[in-house]
Amino acid sequence: MSARRWRATALLLVLAMIMAACTSSSDTEPDDPDAPATTEAAGESEGESDPTTGGEAGGDVGEEDVFVHAGDDEPLSLDPAQVEAGEYGEAVILQVYDRLVEFGPDGPDLMPGLATEVPSTDNGLISADGLTYTFPLREGVSFHDGSPFTADDVVFSWDRAMTMSLPEGTADLLNDNVASMQAVDDFTFEVTLQAPNAAFLNSIVTASVAAVVSQEVVEANGGVVEGTPNEFMATNPIGTGPFKFVEWNRNENLIFEKNDDYFGQVPALDLRIEIGPDPDVRVLGLRAGEYDMIETDPSFIGDIEGAEGVVIYSEGLLLEPIHIGLNLNITDLPEEDTIPADFFHDPRIRQAFNYAFDYEAFLNGALGGFGDFNPHYIPQGIFGYDPTAPVYQQDLAKAEELFREAGYWDEGFTVSVITEEANLFEIAALVLKDSIEGLNPNMQIRVLAVAEAQFDEAHASNPVPYAMWVKNADPFADPEAYLRAYAHPDGEWGEIHDFGAGYQDPERIAGLIDDAAQETDTTKRAELYAEVQRLLFEDPMWIIAAQEGVAVAYRDRVQGFVHNPLWPRPNVRWNYFSK
Amino acid sequence: MQVREYLIRRLMILPLLVIGTSIIVFTLTRVGGSPIGIYLSHEMSQEEVAEIEARYHLDDPLPVQYLYWAGGVLRGDLGWSGISAGPVTQVMPDKIAASLELAVAAGIVAVTLGVGLGTFAGARRNRLPDHIARIFSISGASMPTFWFAIILLIVFWVYLGWFPVGRSTTALFTSIEHPTGLYTVDALLAGNLRAFGDALWHLVLPAVTLGYGATAIIARMMRSSLVEELQEDYVDAARAKGLAERVVLKRHARRNALIPTVTVIGLSFGFLLQGSVVTEIIFQWPGMGRWMADAVLRGDQATIMAYVLFTSVLFLGVNLVVDIVYAYLDRRVVLGD
Repeated sequence: MSARRWRATALLLVLAMIMAACTSSSDTEPDDPDAPATTEAAGESEGESDPTTGGEAGGDVGEEDVFVHAGDDEPLSLDPAQVEAGEYGEAVILQVYDRLVEFGPDGPDLMPGLATEVPSTDNGLISADGLTYTFPLREGVSFHDGSPFTADDVVFSWDRAMTMSLPEGTADLLNDNVASMQAVDDFTFEVTLQAPNAAFLNSIVTASVAAVVSQEVVEANGGVVEGTPNEFMATNPIGTGPFKFVEWNRNENLIFEKNDDYFGQVPALDLRIEIGPDPDVRVLGLRAGEYDMIETDPSFIGDIEGAEGVVIYSEGLLLEPIHIGLNLNITDLPEEDTIPADFFHDPRIRQAFNYAFDYEAFLNGALGGFGDFNPHYIPQGIFGYDPTAPVYQQDLAKAEELFREAGYWDEGFTVSVITEEANLFEIAALVLKDSIEGLNPNMQIRVLAVAEAQFDEAHASNPVPYAMWVKNADPFADPEAYLRAYAHPDGEWGEIHDFGAGYQDPERIAGLIDDAAQETDTTKRAELYAEVQRLLFEDPMWIIAAQEGVAVAYRDRVQGFVHNPLWPRPNVRWNYFSK
Repeated sequence: MQVREYLIRRLMILPLLVIGTSIIVFTLTRVGGSPIGIYLSHEMSQEEVAEIEARYHLDDPLPVQYLYWAGGVLRGDLGWSGISAGPVTQVMPDKIAASLELAVAAGIVAVTLGVGLGTFAGARRNRLPDHIARIFSISGASMPTFWFAIILLIVFWVYLGWFPVGRSTTALFTSIEHPTGLYTVDALLAGNLRAFGDALWHLVLPAVTLGYGATAIIARMMRSSLVEELQEDYVDAARAKGLAERVVLKRHARRNALIPTVTVIGLSFGFLLQGSVVTEIIFQWPGMGRWMADAVLRGDQATIMAYVLFTSVLFLGVNLVVDIVYAYLDRRVVLGD
């Protein structure tokens, strides 16, 4: 290439850069003829802060008509019948689809969704035997494609999820509870349960899997096939919710348009979710004024605190206690582990671990003080949580005494704990290591921090091939769900970890949880749960490191911020927000 | 050997190399964990895990699984990308286009800076400008990308607000068609200069980050080969003929010095093309690097395999092109030796 051409290339590049910079600063003219028609000239001033003012951009509105949220992950599926609990797709489903009843904006109270009333025994919509629920439905609601919503869509949606019964989804919630259902007329839906379930509305009707999809849309796009995901539905959500799905640019963003016909609170703004920028970039973008809100965890709060124009919401607690699992069903362990298979059968060992863990170090260090102690399986903020129940605090003398009694103090042991790498769970594992090894160097904890996929595989195995692991619980709105999954000897983890082999009185615990599930008198129900909590203190099956605090950061231009710890990440429904 | 004959021979070997690579990687992806890790969650029972495994033919022996994959490739089906919730063939072109666009922009930065600095330094060997040029170019390679990129962001995004992250302004992006997936080209095809400016504007920071990193090696190679060429007899002869130093340098010495540099440029471009994980993550650039990093971390085998297929074909292709460019630059190079 000749010298002249090289120079020309360089010149062109410089010109291009100058042109780009100039174009950007003239972007603010609202009457630009090239302004796009599709999204109402949204994004006119993206990334703009006045370069002449210097300092951090603050007080500007970013993009005027669009709420820009920087999320921390990308969905795997946007189909209510396929989405995994706790997966990012749930956050999208929450915006695009409706359920029959919904949680209120900021807590576990139920409010009508596609149903016009929340069923209760008082209003007669729950039958006296607790088996039949009747939902009167809204008339005049349309799906985003224009097809009308009727009771048939509800029957179809639930039936579809139950038929597909995808293992990654949560169809079991319906399959394990629903006996039959029918559209009584166009706007009345009736469901009959297999057995009374006090948590039916709170944990099932409000779940993603119970979101109502359009029969017309599904039938036109692949229909329902047992055991097979529907590829169209996985990527094209069409619901009745406050936001219409527009586009999903993989690894980049999810674009939504506000639904002006929404029956509930009509959103003031369109919505864009930036997909999973690096945590540091999210923080920078919030400071730059590019993002209206970011997802963060408490360990990043220090980077944002004091930044101009940024508000940090840190009230309330997530309903996802961070726990360390103790496996009583050991068949296979890493070679280095020296513990016997029945190591955790001895309640003294489980108690000793609970006394040894440095709760304060984890809460004040890793969580930056955002959170609370909660060594129980009913988190604070949920019915049934008993503030007077005894809780574990670090007590090294007691831990030593228990390890001595159990016969492991002199000899020591080595045990591995598996965790996802580079997040709060790994830190919890490291705190455990410090706590135990600091107590007695003969007792060794090996922290195996692995990639998420590898952890998930181990965690999904039955039996789990490790004696200990760290994770958080899934959020529920009802104590029954927590205790069934994490304490009941015949529940999910009870079976995998064989709690029955460790509880001093497994029948008693099972009986209390079973009775509470069917008890409709709330005072009696609370007493039963209080009793369970006292028993679980003596007989812990987990080390509950902390209940993580909520930490959401947003620009001060955001109006109407509300937060509900029950909603899937990022715990908001954006139709309530404006700026 | 004739260029055509050589090409045919190379093209015949290419599929064998690709098959070899894919078998190795297919096996290796299994060492790190389940290829369906992404679909698993702890709520699942053993039966449910088995159900998912059957859905993706993971209950078959490994060679059979490989044949399923390879058969799919031949039919133009690269499988389902779990992390992107879509068929690989549908998602990948966008990723390739994003990385290609960034690679070209970064390549322009790297080649302009690298060849320019190398020539500048080589002609002023061991004098102050040489040292300054060297410090400048080497610092590009020695600064960690994540650090340099974050510094650029803090200065130009947070404080000055001059350049954004991401690939485009959403409203402008949605206002035009995207036949090629290269936003600059799409904008020009649509005749939308604002969208073109916007696409360039978004390219600046990542291209500078990525291109500056590749500058050092190009500049070093250019400098050393130019220094060598300048000691050759033909340069003395040219000078003796009375040619201006500028002409000697640019017309004669540099042309020859470019030959080894082109190899380096070709390889650097290959690296740029496969996507840069760190740059793409930090600048929210939806390219191959970030996609791949996600796939590996979350255990998405179909995506990993598609990426491997792409990069192996890419590198074999780039090497081929480099060899042919050699022959063009220096007629003495005989292909096939």
